[in-house]
Amino acid sequence: MNPRPLTVVLIVPTGVGASIGGFAGDALPVARAIAQISDTLITHPNVLNGAQLYWPIPNALYVEGYALDKFAAGCWGLQPVHQNRIGLIMDCAIEPDLQLRHLQAVDAARATLGLNITDCILTDRPLQVELRTSESGASWGTIGNPDSLLRAADKLIAQAKVQAIAVVARFPEDEGSLALENYRHGKGVDPLAGAEAVISHLIVRTFKIPCAHAPALSALPLDPHLSPRSAAEEIGYTFLPCVLAGLSKAPQFVTPAVGQASCLSQVLGGQDARPTTTNIYTNRGNFESASQSLWADRVDAVVIPATACGGSAILSLSGRSTVQIIAVGDNKTQMQASPEKLGIKALQVNSYLEAIGVLVALRSGISPASLGADISSLRCLSDSIKQI
Amino acid sequence: MTTHFISAEVDLRDTAEELHSAIEIELKKHGEPLRWAVTDVDVDRQKALVEGYVLVEASPVAA
Repeated sequence: MNPRPLTVVLIVPTGVGASIGGFAGDALPVARAIAQISDTLITHPNVLNGAQLYWPIPNALYVEGYALDKFAAGCWGLQPVHQNRIGLIMDCAIEPDLQLRHLQAVDAARATLGLNITDCILTDRPLQVELRTSESGASWGTIGNPDSLLRAADKLIAQAKVQAIAVVARFPEDEGSLALENYRHGKGVDPLAGAEAVISHLIVRTFKIPCAHAPALSALPLDPHLSPRSAAEEIGYTFLPCVLAGLSKAPQFVTPAVGQASCLSQVLGGQDARPTTTNIYTNRGNFESASQSLWADRVDAVVIPATACGGSAILSLSGRSTVQIIAVGDNKTQMQASPEKLGIKALQVNSYLEAIGVLVALRSGISPASLGADISSLRCLSDSIKQI
Repeated sequence: MTTHFISAEVDLRDTAEELHSAIEIELKKHGEPLRWAVTDVDVDRQKALVEGYVLVEASPVAA
């Protein structure tokens, strides 16, 4: 009999100043290590994207944040693919030379990696990205012309039949700012990250296909004190290669059909929206077998920074008794949403090394508590105490 | 269509799932939630402090 596969979700929220994973793909070593002891690792672009650098992990699923939230809520399933046909949207505000750099990055990915990137479109208006910082210290941003972004995506899907979309938006130059200086030195919050999430969330929400974003920026002056955590973004002209590599094998989404509730779990009393009839799901017929799709009830564990437990995915998954939430203390963030404050049952560990040990124990069927020096007494339920 | 940043306070609930639903309901008063998180909890007041952004569709222009 085959044992149950171990499915692990690794989340490092973007734009919250995570000390590990808050910079240029610097949680990728964590993802690689966790993938080694998992059958399936589900994680997101902020973890896997290192600008020019990336690492193909065969058992990792690259799932954009909005889709990850929907997956965790039991609303969407994940359908692994062999390869996606990718389209590229470029903000028309990008200068011609910088546009050419990005097109050449795409050509390099086609010729050197064999990726299927077929079509490119310029937005009909500048996207006008603006950067902001919230009261909590998280970065976010606005897009002046979201409709232009969605028109471009619609054309790529309708005319070029793309299955995944890479977006490159012109981001404001931040040279000389304290936030950028801190970021380059491995401190503070990525000032671009929050606005990037707005862009990809918009497309995934609207079209329900994989999407990821790379900002277009001019090269910065050389900094001899650049942090290793930020260095991946300063070794080339674009941040695009990791996005293309991730999207090429990103799972497609199994989603409710038009006219159905946006999340069937809500109308089924907490059950997953796993398809029961072929006509519930618009895109189910596109896949060879819906039984290959992955749903939230397959998740065994979630690894999250201890102060960033307030996101949609964690609140959803914490309601599942079979999911072990592992909260990592030394990945500090600007958030203050700990499991205890939120009433979430979680196993608190100090480091990712310790989290990996917990996952090994779970996979082996060993209670992590039994590996410590102190083992607590057996708990007796109140109405049985008199009988013992 | 526009994107808006929202800060809100939501009463803590008995379970995280109930809190999730309460946050979505609160944010939907302002638009379609795109991304949100509880950033902190005021334990004394039993309030979750939430930041997020929502999508607001443009109102149809009257003919």
